[in-house]
Amino acid sequence: MKIGVIDYGASNIFSVVRALNSLGAKTSVVKKPEDFNGIDKLVFPGQGSMGSCMSRLNEAEMTIPMKEFIEEKPFLGICLGLQVLFSGSQESTEEKGLGVFSEEIKKFNSPKDTKLKIPHMGWNQIDFSQDHFLWNGLESGEDYYFVHSYISCELKEEFIYSKTEHGQTFNSAISKDNIFATQFHPEKSGKLGLKFLENFLNWRP
Amino acid sequence: MSLTIRIIPCLDVRGGRVVKGINFKDIIDAGDPAEAALRYDQEGADEICMLDIDASYEARSTTLETVEKIANQVFIPFTVGGGVKSIKDVEILLKSGADKVSINTSAITNPKLISEASKEFGSQCIVVAIDAKYDSENWHVYTHGGKNKTELEALSWAKEVEQLGAGEILMTSMDKDGTKSGFDNMLNSKLANILKIPLIASGGAGKLNHLVDAVKLGKADAVLAASIFHYQEISIKEVKKALQEEGLSTRL
Repeated sequence: MKIGVIDYGASNIFSVVRALNSLGAKTSVVKKPEDFNGIDKLVFPGQGSMGSCMSRLNEAEMTIPMKEFIEEKPFLGICLGLQVLFSGSQESTEEKGLGVFSEEIKKFNSPKDTKLKIPHMGWNQIDFSQDHFLWNGLESGEDYYFVHSYISCELKEEFIYSKTEHGQTFNSAISKDNIFATQFHPEKSGKLGLKFLENFLNWRP
Repeated sequence: MSLTIRIIPCLDVRGGRVVKGINFKDIIDAGDPAEAALRYDQEGADEICMLDIDASYEARSTTLETVEKIANQVFIPFTVGGGVKSIKDVEILLKSGADKVSINTSAITNPKLISEASKEFGSQCIVVAIDAKYDSENWHVYTHGGKNKTELEALSWAKEVEQLGAGEILMTSMDKDGTKSGFDNMLNSKLANILKIPLIASGGAGKLNHLVDAVKLGKADAVLAASIFHYQEISIKEVKKALQEEGLSTRL
């Protein structure tokens, strides 16, 4: 089994690759349309801006093969990789997302509590909303590592698998069929994150 | 139900070995960095910081090997600093396995490096480290590992680097560093009041209550310490337990 890791040219993909390799997975970097050949599962890690990410994916002619891939094969989106699944983001009115979910990504409300800092960076609790194969061996209420300024807050309950609170409640894990995505970084969340990635490697949706 | 207070053990590294100095001087050898990082991860560290205190051009490849070795075994956020002078230096460290890069002297000699690096790689991976010493009425910023005094005042410098795009401030009190007499909570609380980005307090950890006070009185978002963890005088678990007893949220 080969895991493709999307490299759209502006994100540090090395920690995800290292974490997957440490679990014994074979990985290959996906940065052009041909790279999708022979890939069994896809991981899309990323940090930063959705607009520039989508325009880079479009320029590299990666958007269509990626849409085709996620129609049938297991996909894990991490952080920005969760956000690109939506139809768009408040941060960029020009570039559209992949549109798996019709809602929009929003910026964190400017916090009423001035001690609350944005970006939301550090370890925070995820509370499971429903059971999933990827939660095997993990418990609701444990801490994972986050770094982000934008969030998914509107989504049909059936797609929400965990929620997290930072001044407001947002969706920290979502899923639909063969697609799973987290706002947290499993590759930086220590033992629990590695267990989660191991579950993804074993997942047969 | 909120972000936890981060406990960050720091590895001061020279020539591929952990070392520890007192008041920025008198360096002694203290072991293998990758072994130490792995132990910290197992003990519940929220992040690992590694500072290359020598950072000479010749020693650079040794440092990168160490970074890579740690990144291959430890899957929590990993900050690396020391001798970062250019965008290229930042990029090489990120590629070698750092998640964040800490910039100190070059932030002062070339402030554009902060704005360019945060634009290129994102604010979240740019930490600006400030070494400061109290001098009758305010805190002065020092460069080159505490050797050179600058005209900069620590509070306004921190605010300036925040505006340039720094994602975090790592504040080291030179008065406190290595003394084990507690953090400079006066300096830190003043900083925390004016900053929107997270503050990592460093310098002075000796007893358990020092770390608790750095959060309660110093208002730090994260606490960094080297020797107390390295010599196992205090465990990370003990720190977290003490923070929890004070009603502060921690991981594990």
